[in-house]
Amino acid sequence: MPALANTFLFVEPDDNYLNFASVPLHQIVEANKQAGQSITELMGSDANPARNKQELNSKSPLVCQLLGHGSPSVYTCQNLAPLLHAENSEELALMNERIMLLTSCLTAQQLGPALIDAGAVAYVGYQQEFWFYIGDSAGATRAVNSPFLAEFEFVKSLLHGKTTGEARAAQMAKYDEELAYWTTGEGKNHADASELAQILTLNKSICTFLGEASVSPSPQAGGLTAQINPAIPFVIATVALGYAIYKVA
Amino acid sequence: MSKELVNRWFNKISISERNLPLLLVDGYAYTPQMAYDEVNRGTQLGARLQSLIEMGKFGTSSLEEQAIAKVRIQTILASKPQDKPLFATMSNKVFTPAQLMEEINSGTLIGQQWVTSEISRMRNIVQVR
Repeated sequence: MPALANTFLFVEPDDNYLNFASVPLHQIVEANKQAGQSITELMGSDANPARNKQELNSKSPLVCQLLGHGSPSVYTCQNLAPLLHAENSEELALMNERIMLLTSCLTAQQLGPALIDAGAVAYVGYQQEFWFYIGDSAGATRAVNSPFLAEFEFVKSLLHGKTTGEARAAQMAKYDEELAYWTTGEGKNHADASELAQILTLNKSICTFLGEASVSPSPQAGGLTAQINPAIPFVIATVALGYAIYKVA
Repeated sequence: MSKELVNRWFNKISISERNLPLLLVDGYAYTPQMAYDEVNRGTQLGARLQSLIEMGKFGTSSLEEQAIAKVRIQTILASKPQDKPLFATMSNKVFTPAQLMEEINSGTLIGQQWVTSEISRMRNIVQVR
């Protein structure tokens, strides 16, 4: 089945410190989802390989935002259960035609390119370790959320109908905004500001985008509205009225 | 070339950054605080430090950059509670400041990643306007 426009799958495991990522992601989805979008969030124990495959087969989402621990060739979800292996063509085929966003370490080395080779239209992931700060409770402060606010700007932009290229530009700009906050902005005198700025510098430098830059989550709707001239309904009504007057006369 | 530019730069960076080594002249490292003081005293050294700040450079070779970056990270991490986990990765690794320092001192891939990133951050700091 081809990937369905305006359909999003979010995989949000919460063990092994992954709640530091899943809490801000859930908040971003809640705050930015739009009418007409099909949104599925697999949270906590639901973020397992079986449910993932079931959702991929039944809903065929165009956008897949997956959180989880990773290695160069493997992405894992809840309980470190592997979902994708770079050398498993059956698993890779599940991601055909999809926009794949992997908030995970190291997958840009092998898994990301393998996904693109297998037919994914775009991929975002990391070449080396993706770092985050755990000095406060998950989701509690700007400090623990900051690396993820930059990372999730990509999917936030897609929720607002942007193309993958526009989303990438927004993500890089958000990295700079967060960096400025901890370097010269209001956060500069936070006790761990230096490390936060360093984490953001590091993550930004290894964030990798592969694939097509012109894909939008709702390409058909965008194309159709662009083609319809707003004056056309008025012209049709005027012609119809003129014809009616002519007939009566 | 103005002293005001140096003062504006100094006031924009964080208090903790002001006492970390950043600028190098004749093999000696200077913190932003030292540079600020020298510039405002109008010394010859101050003029050279001011020139580096105006050019947005810290005046080092790549070996010296790495050495200064390590000292900066050591200074930052030494000021933290040593056994509280503060950092984690999306590959299921968790680090206390002491453990991270060990990675940096041993020159592991993770340690190198932090040193490289610190050099980028130093560049960002000296170019703050």
